[in-house]
Amino acid sequence: MNVLIIEDEAALADELEIFLTGYNYVCDVCLNGATASEKIAVNLYDFILIDLGLPDYDGLDLLKEAKKNNPEALCLILTARAEVFDRIKGLDLGADDYLPKPFSLLELQSRMQAITRRKFGLKQNLVDLGGFEVNLTDRVISYGQGEIGTITKKEFDLIAYLLLHKNRTLTRSQLSEHIWGSVVNDDYDSNYIDAHIKNIRKKLNVFAPPDWLETVRGLGYRIKINT
Amino acid sequence: MKLNTKLTLFNTLSKLVIVTIFVLLLPVLIRNINQNFTDNKLRKQKEKVIQTIRQSGLKSNLYTYYSPIKDEFYSLDEDSLDEALDTIENEPRKIEGDTIAYRILSYNFASDKKNYLLEIGRSVDTISETTVPLQNIAFVVLVGMILLTIAADQLYSNYVLRPLGQIIKTKLVALKFPNFGPYKKVKTSTSDFEYLDISIHKMIETIESTFQKEREFISNASHELMTPISILQSKIENLFVREDVGDEVKARMLEMQRILNRLKSITKTLLLISQIENEQFLKEDTVSLNSLLQEVHDEISIRLQSKNITYEAVVPMDWKLVNVNKFLFFNLFFNLINNAIKYNRENGKIILNAAHQNGVFSVSIADTGIGISSDNLPYIFNRFKKLRQSLQQDSFGLGLPIVMSIANFHQVKIEVESVVDKGSTFRLIFPGFLIEN
Repeated sequence: MNVLIIEDEAALADELEIFLTGYNYVCDVCLNGATASEKIAVNLYDFILIDLGLPDYDGLDLLKEAKKNNPEALCLILTARAEVFDRIKGLDLGADDYLPKPFSLLELQSRMQAITRRKFGLKQNLVDLGGFEVNLTDRVISYGQGEIGTITKKEFDLIAYLLLHKNRTLTRSQLSEHIWGSVVNDDYDSNYIDAHIKNIRKKLNVFAPPDWLETVRGLGYRIKINT
Repeated sequence: MKLNTKLTLFNTLSKLVIVTIFVLLLPVLIRNINQNFTDNKLRKQKEKVIQTIRQSGLKSNLYTYYSPIKDEFYSLDEDSLDEALDTIENEPRKIEGDTIAYRILSYNFASDKKNYLLEIGRSVDTISETTVPLQNIAFVVLVGMILLTIAADQLYSNYVLRPLGQIIKTKLVALKFPNFGPYKKVKTSTSDFEYLDISIHKMIETIESTFQKEREFISNASHELMTPISILQSKIENLFVREDVGDEVKARMLEMQRILNRLKSITKTLLLISQIENEQFLKEDTVSLNSLLQEVHDEISIRLQSKNITYEAVVPMDWKLVNVNKFLFFNLFFNLINNAIKYNRENGKIILNAAHQNGVFSVSIADTGIGISSDNLPYIFNRFKKLRQSLQQDSFGLGLPIVMSIANFHQVKIEVESVVDKGSTFRLIFPGFLIEN
């Protein structure tokens, strides 16, 4: 998939490129609006990541151009200007999603995948995990014939996020940010991820030991799938 | 006491004092006036008598006369006194057995080597008999005048002070900090009030702009911090998966990530507060209170579980929050319940109760936690204020300020009651227009 990264902060653009390349995206980086505008006019992209706070260009204008020249492209707006107003405007102009800075790269990848799934209406997204079947579309886990109803929404979110970034160790901070990111509270170190993982293991263990859900000592958790 | 009342009271009192003094002095004054009047009359009569003597001779006037009711007398007689006499004095005279006090003019003169004494008298009773009616009339007239002037004063001071009342009412009492609304001039022709009005307005403008600047600063500063935080976070995340980085280094990077998260949380929270205060949120959502609290409970149940806290919620199914921002209300309840967990003891209890009493909708959240001492109670909503009891908790003192900002934004009042070591109760009082049931 081709991704155009429009971000005036070179350091951040670099990291985005490194990260997305690791997930097999082909990246094009623009550090200003003018070159981005040229690229949008010439090339076709699957994804366009637009930073709204460009010094030389209104990010929303770029979005309009992108929608005109690259109607198939999925547009994701990145911005530090998290005002509600911009958010509404961005979505009205056809942005597919919106990610306020600072965001986790994992979250970006998760959103990009969600947009893709939404846009192309992928069929039943089933993953087999050592006998457990995870249905990412209907958001349920089942073992054999039976659905495991005891898994809560939060717990499923955790499994799905780990699964999306399979074979990669996710830290507790990254996991909390994903499942509690929308809550604004004043805890900075509360860690309930361990409790959640413990519950998940307990619930799955009734059926079979979930060996694929690994604790990476001192670092975090990971879902391991041998491919 | 109101200025108007004070002025009226002073006016009334001062007039009463003046009138009382005047009424007390009245008898003396009237006596003096009467006496002067009588004396003048007596002197005129004397002149007349002397003129008559010159015209018709002494002999025919040499007699003594009393008026039938003895209120006046006249006498001209030979006298042995040598010294010249021309006085007016009060003297008692005995006439036909009655002793009567008279005001008597005595005058002696010589004629044909003989001395004569002229006396003209008026009884004192006659002189003073007008005193009482005069006094009464004066009293009635004065009281009438006082009542009239008090009424006039009252009317005028009411009229002239009305702008002051309006300034107090519209510029001070009705002001809702920090949203002052547009400036409306108070109509007045009194320059002092004009000055007061304009001064208050200028002060409000200054406060407003300072406040605005502070909010803008917080908003800008938070925004500016977002990009560097974002860069650092991405760098750490990318480094974290590199195979050439050992686990020991990764563990230290984890520390960095946690600290960065803390910075991120503070910045995000400050930004949220400034956005709420800048009214950048819409209030267009309708949400069932019950399902909102259920959502909060779903988010937070893991925290309840890890401290083994019992959570009970009594909320009518049909209560709906209308014209609110759901995201903000979610955060309000999340933070309140989260605090109730954080400052609770193991195996503690949280009771959430929604009530409609005397037309007031309220939701109270009671915990069995460490409580807040009454010394600290006034400061719990201040930003970055961390109380000693809460120091062992991972917080930076912005939880309750968020709650307060959201509550203010929706005109919800918060009451807090707390007993140290027993627990705290936070009571949200909703304005009627926020709730449908």
